[in-house]
Parts: sequence; C-alpha cells; structure tokens
Amino acid sequence: MNSVMPPLVAYQILAAILFTIGVVGVLVRRSALIIFMSIELMLNAVNLSFVAFSRQHGSMDGHIFVFFVMAVAAAEVAIGLAILVAIFRKKETANVDDVHLLKG
Amino acid sequence: MLETILFAFFALTAIFCALGVVFHKNPVHCALLLVGVLLSLSGLFILLSAQFIAALQVIVYAGAIMVLFLFVLMLLNFRQDPDVLTPGAAKGFGFLFGLLVMVELLWTALSPNGGEGGGLPAAPPLPADFGSPAAIGKILYTTWLFPFEITSILLLVAVVGAVVLAKRKFA
Amino acid sequence: MDLALIIESAVKVLVVLGFTCVSVILIVWMERKVLGHMQDRIGPERVGPFGILQTVADGIKLFMKEDLVPKQADKVLFFVAPGLSIVTALVAMSVIPWGDSVELFGRTIMLHVTDVNVAVLFLLGTTSMGVYGIVLGGWSSNSKYPLLGGLRSSAQMISYELAQGIAIVPIIMLTGTLSLAEIGRAQAKMWFVIPQFFGFVIYIICAVAETNRAPFDLAEAESELVAGFHTEFSSMKFALYFLSEYANMMVVSGVAITCFLGAWNGPVLPGPVWFLLKLGFFIFCYIWLRATFPRLRYDQLMSLGWKVLLPASLLNMAVTAVVLVMKG
Repeated sequence: MNSVMPPLVAYQILAAILFTIGVVGVLVRRSALIIFMSIELMLNAVNLSFVAFSRQHGSMDGHIFVFFVMAVAAAEVAIGLAILVAIFRKKETANVDDVHLLKG
Repeated sequence: MLETILFAFFALTAIFCALGVVFHKNPVHCALLLVGVLLSLSGLFILLSAQFIAALQVIVYAGAIMVLFLFVLMLLNFRQDPDVLTPGAAKGFGFLFGLLVMVELLWTALSPNGGEGGGLPAAPPLPADFGSPAAIGKILYTTWLFPFEITSILLLVAVVGAVVLAKRKFA
Repeated sequence: MDLALIIESAVKVLVVLGFTCVSVILIVWMERKVLGHMQDRIGPERVGPFGILQTVADGIKLFMKEDLVPKQADKVLFFVAPGLSIVTALVAMSVIPWGDSVELFGRTIMLHVTDVNVAVLFLLGTTSMGVYGIVLGGWSSNSKYPLLGGLRSSAQMISYELAQGIAIVPIIMLTGTLSLAEIGRAQAKMWFVIPQFFGFVIYIICAVAETNRAPFDLAEAESELVAGFHTEFSSMKFALYFLSEYANMMVVSGVAITCFLGAWNGPVLPGPVWFLLKLGFFIFCYIWLRATFPRLRYDQLMSLGWKVLLPASLLNMAVTAVVLVMKG
C-alpha cells in the first residue's frame, strides 16, 4: 500500500488547524498554564506534520525529528513549570498580566 | 476505507479536544483534553506507520509530561480565572493573528508546487521495517548521533535547572 | 477484513475478558484465605465450599450499596476515574500471550488477542495511562486525604515505571524483538531468568511497587491515609478500583512470566496450563509478600526507586550490553 491514504494534504490541513488553535490559545488566554498547554499543542501539530511528510517520502528522518522535538518539549515543560511554581510561590497568581514588574 | 474513517474520527477528536483546551474554564479539564489530543495524534501516527513514535507519544507525552502538568496544577491549586480570555482589544488581535496564521498555512499546504500539496509524486514503496524501533535505532546512532548526545546533555541541564528553580530555600 | 478473523478476535477478546474477571474473583478469595492461614486464622469459610463464593457475596453487597458523590466533587472526573483504571488494566491484558498457537477449524490461532510488534512499548504506554485513573480519582474527590493519597500513589507509580522499563531492556537486547509472543518463543530452550537474574529481581520489586501492593502500599493503607485515593468512592466505583488493582497484578505477573520465566514453555503440560500455574505462583508470592513485610515509609519508597533501583537497572543494562558485544 504505497500511497498515503487519506492523502497527505489532509494531514497537513489538520496540522495547520491544530497549530492555529495553539497560536490562538497562546495569544488569547491569560493563565500561564493554559498558555503552556497551547505551546504543547503547537509542538504536537508540528510533530504530526513531520510524521506525515516522513511517510510520504519514505524516509525516517522525520521520525527522528519528532523524537528530538519530544525530548526538547519534555525539558521545556520541566523548566517552564519550575519557573511557574517559583513565580506562583511569590505572587500567588498564575495570571501573566500580573507579572509585570519589569514593565516601563 | 477503514483508514479514512479512522482518520476522520481521530482528526475530529483532536480538533474538538484542542478547542476545549483553549476555551475551557477549568484548568484540570483543559489538561485532560490535551491528553485527549495527544492520544488522537498517537492514533494518527499509527495510521502513518510510525509505531515507535506513536508509542513514545503515549509513554512520554501523555504519560509523563501531562502527568507533570497535572501534578503542578493539583499541588498549587490554581483558581479558575474569572474571565477566561484576555479582556479588551487584545482578544480581537489574538483571533485576527490566528486567522492570518491559518490562512498562510493552508495556502502553503494547498498550493500545487510550493507546499507539496497537490502535485506530489507517488510515495515510494516503504521498507518493511519502516517506523519500527530497529530502524529508528539504526539511524539514531549513526547519522543523528551528535544531536542525540546533545539532547542527553540538554535533558540533564533541564533536570538540574528544574530542581534548582523549584527548590524551597530553607532560610 | 474477513469474517473468520473477526470471529476469532471476538472470541479471543471474550475469553481473555472472562478469564480476567473470573480470576480476579478467585484471586480475591485466594488472598483472603492465604493471608488468613499465614496469619494463623482461617479466613472466609462460610459462603460456599471453603468460602469460595465470598467474593461473589462481596460483589453483591457492593452493588447494592448507595453510590455517594461528594458535594463539591468534580462529577465528570469522579465518574470517569475508576473506569480509566479498569480499562487500562484490561487493555494491557490483550498483548500477553498465554500459549503459542493452536490448530482449530483449519486455522492457526495464535494464543494472544493481538500481536502488536511493539508490545513492550504498548504495555509501558498502558501502565503510564493507568496513573491517570489514580490521580484523577484522588483529585475529583475534592478532599484532602484522597488528594494526598492519589498524588503519592501516582508519584510512586511513575518513579517505578522507569526502572521497570529499563529492567526489560536487556530482554529486548537478548531477543532482538519487542513482541511478547516472540520473546516467549525465544525461551523454549532456556528461561531468561537464568542470564538475567538481577533484571528479574529488579522487575519484581518494581512490579510490586507499580501495583501499589504491600510493602509499597503506604498511599492506600487503611492505617495511614484513610483509604488513600479511593476513600470517597463507594459501591461499584470502589469495586472497579478494587478489581483494577488485581487486574494490574495479573498484567505485571503476566509480563514477568513472559519476559523472564519462559512464558508458556514447560516439559509435559500444554502451554496455557503452564502459564496458569506460573501465574498462580506469582499471585501467591504477591500475597506472601503482603503477609510478611512491613510497609515502607513514603520517603524510603521513593529513595529506593530513584537511588537504588534505577541505577541498578541501568547497570544491569550496561553489563548485558557489554557481554552481548563481547560474545559477538
């Protein structure tokens, strides 16, 4: 079974939609944790795109990229949540609008 | 035929769960909807013959990273935001920018030459072990050895950094 | 998708589900009897011969109880969490092979529900998803003891998952495949417990910790945190948690048997009979452990998982790799 069924375009469109939902989430929500989750959503959309292209070209390099994206995402989540925990301990809020001490 | 049905099922689940993540009030529910997105994507990866990546997605992403999210949520007891979305004009700019991003991505995906959308050559025949751990191991430790080693250092830095940042300072 | 395949799969699914449910009932009875005799008392003996229907009586009692939902509990999660636990446990049973193959109606039927070629990863994935049943159960009860118990249980499960996975890696190195059926077939000559004894010991300790059983059951022991994450659950929801604990026990025992103790291989009796005998022996050892050892304190438990078992399993993997390379 050689051709990608359903066609590759369907996967790319799905990845585009998921990526857009993630972008909207980052821009529109105020809670730092939800912004984090939207970033994860964006990373996953990109993963889907990589794997679909990898299947189309028959090359495993896309899978390796996804592997590294997952490892980096894990590291990023750990550090990001640690920062969030540190901020939350100080300021009792997870609202990104309230963390503005460096402003102006 | 079966593949198209499965694709439609996983795709719709992913989109609905993603919308739920962005627009839902309760943060724990958002985290669980994100787990739903990750599991649907894992199903899509299996449809694309990427078994190892699908298994890793469940084990690493849905099983470890999201549990970390949930732990932080539960331990810190985040209150629900009174208004979910950014108030005022910023909300409009956010949606507009999202719309621009979507138009741009779809343009690229659907254009005949630029995004490899329409005029693709037929996919080459897949080797028998495509997507299997053996095949990933083969190229991970030969072609991609250097990024692999760098990633291990990156993870070490992340572990040390997380411990240092989140540690309580005993005065 | 031919009809014979669909019928075969449906029958196998029903057989495995039925077997799991019936054996969970038997395991509960066995635990109470064996624990009783080890503690110098008799255990259940009134309901049915040797008390064997005691679990059925308990099941009827649990079914008839009032199903309470705490007032401020998160209703959706409260409903879903026990289901998640039992579903992940039962799904994991689908890749465990209970025999090699059998010839029926002119077809060769492999004795496992599916043969996923990344079966070991599939099992690790379902174990990871099983953590959600516990952490969500603790959270949705909206009460402090369940929350603490749930978080502690799930932290314990995640910590021991690592060492458990790495303890299986040398088996994968020895056989070159991730499929459990292949690993079972590769042990026809020699069980892997002999070259991989340390891996076996590490896996057993991690398995007992994964299933939240004594001596690692601080998070749900009655004298510690009321009943941990399942304090607020009553009636069928509690029954589902209870059943999922025993189903998980069967799953990890099944994996230990397949990877280390020769799966279905044995001299005279047919494959599935050997599998059942080994499974029974494992469950007996689980109960034996519960009767014998005192409970580990939570910080002792976590330091055992991270500071002892994880380095030990990594060392085991490294030594196996070196020996395999030297042997050529």
